[in-house]
Amino acid sequence: MRRTLAQSLALYATVIFTLVMILFPVYWLLVTALSTTDELYRLPPTFWPDNPQWDVFARVWAAKPILLWLWNSMLAAVGSVALSMLVSVSAGYALSRYSMRGGATMGLFVLTAKMLPATLLVIPLFSIFSSFGLIGSLWTLVLAHSTMIIPFATWMLKGYFDTIPKELEQAAMVDGCSPIGAMVRVVLPIATPGLAATALYAFVLSWADYAYARTFLVNSPDNWTANLGITTMQGEYVTYWNDIAAASVFIALPIIAIYLFLERYLVGGLTAGAEK
Amino acid sequence: MANISIRNVSKSYGALNVLRPFSLEIENGEFVVLVGPSGCGKSTMLKILAGLEPATEGQIFIGDREVTDLAPGDRDIAMVFQNYALYPHLTVRQNIGFGLKMRGTDKTEIDRRVDDAARILEVTPYLDRKPKDLSGGQRQRVALGRAIVRQPQAFLMDEPLSNLDAKLRVHMRAEIGALHKRIGVTTVYVTHDQVEAMTMADRVVIMQGGIIQQIAAPDELFNNPANLFVAGFIGSPGMNFLNAELRDGKLTAFGQQISLPRATSGQGPVVVGLRPEHLVLGDAPVTFGVRPTLVESLGSEKYVYFDSEGARIADGEEGKSKGLIARVSHTGSLPRDEEIRLGFDPAQLYLFDQKTGERL
Repeated sequence: MRRTLAQSLALYATVIFTLVMILFPVYWLLVTALSTTDELYRLPPTFWPDNPQWDVFARVWAAKPILLWLWNSMLAAVGSVALSMLVSVSAGYALSRYSMRGGATMGLFVLTAKMLPATLLVIPLFSIFSSFGLIGSLWTLVLAHSTMIIPFATWMLKGYFDTIPKELEQAAMVDGCSPIGAMVRVVLPIATPGLAATALYAFVLSWADYAYARTFLVNSPDNWTANLGITTMQGEYVTYWNDIAAASVFIALPIIAIYLFLERYLVGGLTAGAEK
Repeated sequence: MANISIRNVSKSYGALNVLRPFSLEIENGEFVVLVGPSGCGKSTMLKILAGLEPATEGQIFIGDREVTDLAPGDRDIAMVFQNYALYPHLTVRQNIGFGLKMRGTDKTEIDRRVDDAARILEVTPYLDRKPKDLSGGQRQRVALGRAIVRQPQAFLMDEPLSNLDAKLRVHMRAEIGALHKRIGVTTVYVTHDQVEAMTMADRVVIMQGGIIQQIAAPDELFNNPANLFVAGFIGSPGMNFLNAELRDGKLTAFGQQISLPRATSGQGPVVVGLRPEHLVLGDAPVTFGVRPTLVESLGSEKYVYFDSEGARIADGEEGKSKGLIARVSHTGSLPRDEEIRLGFDPAQLYLFDQKTGERL
């Protein structure tokens, strides 16, 4: 069916509006980084600095341990993804495939954990980590982020496994696989898009965390994550917003790179199951 | 290749019995079809045989080996599934060779046997494709290839043709029959389609409500159904049934007294069965007049629908209340609502107990 002119206009207007809403903050981050301090406070604001300060990136990179912060964020995120995928894949698969007494209730109970705000768990987690002597270690983030990721990831994966016909595992078992073998050799390879989507979700959640990092790591500068590191650039009397914006650009880059890399799997993951 | 012995196998989920004690001896090389309406327990029996579901009670032997508690992979059987269950991430070659690989077969041996199986099933040109690039019929062949390549003791097939279109189904039915003749592996085949059961089986097991109704060769089932259910299930269109009175060897039906040629001990209310193809137009030992309610022409023959007092609907066919059917050879036109005469030979009547449904 051909679109009318009005429909086309409405369609493009919606797309453009959505893009502006999403991309404007990113654009403004860049403008802030490139502006001088004076220009930042000028009213009305300028939409492109008169004299872009391209050297701000090199200056911030030299002044602050950005690479160390990124490395710590990366360790925490990779650890959280690994731990939560291990748990969520097993739990989601079990919820999808095995019926057990109270299984469905247990599954829903897992999800209620997701409904608690992260701040509610900060104090009990702090107390637990203290008694294990973990405060200041990146392990606190791996464990704390997993508590946020696992409930939702379990349900995402359960939904994905539900779309894979059981007969595939049955065929694999008749072909000589054990139940675990059938899962590893047949189900997981087919579930790659779902696994990629879930892993990306988990990575972003961990990468974006500030509250846990601030609470557990504030006295251990060597283990500061990127988000925590940036906030320490805020001065008591003067704050160089352009420096902070430049550091923020560095922190956004890895997530964009990972997104671009996983995008093809992700799209498959979001649309798979629609055709069944 | 081996015989299969199923001894008193039952299955229940809590209080729900899906399979009553089921016993069946399957000879080496035999093609046995389990047939029945959905929910009759036929697929459950097949899954228990495959080891995909545990039996609540009973024992299963394949050859001389008891397999009741063995994992599916240790039973030396191969299974073909309704939706093919091909591994979508593997090529056709890898799909067919998967079972051999799992059993640690040597790589060159796998290649040789996959090539053989592919040649038999004519899928050689597709060996490097993924299942999604194949048509339904090709996928079905690959699924069969996966089964035959392992040279198992027995094949289990769970409605393997029901996802194919009608024409391809007839074709694949013949191919599976030919394949069975060629390699002679003991086969247990599950279907809800009585035509598949009749055309493919050495013996048919008819099931309903988790209970075996009759085990017999196809012709025997057709000619000597054990009860109302079997009589109504086998044959297309299904057998006509009428409630009637039996007194001193005489039957009251179609508004007349009919003398039965065979001595029958029963008395009182019975169900009379008469196959649509045993009704003829015009003269016969017993004739009666009807006004057709509907006439369907299939070219070489016609289905004449008509009502008669006492007509009843076969079990499990609720809603198909078109009355009785005569299947007659007739090339001219048969006007609706004009009286015609139909007849039959009383020797071709079947009598069933009205209460138990058993054949009298």
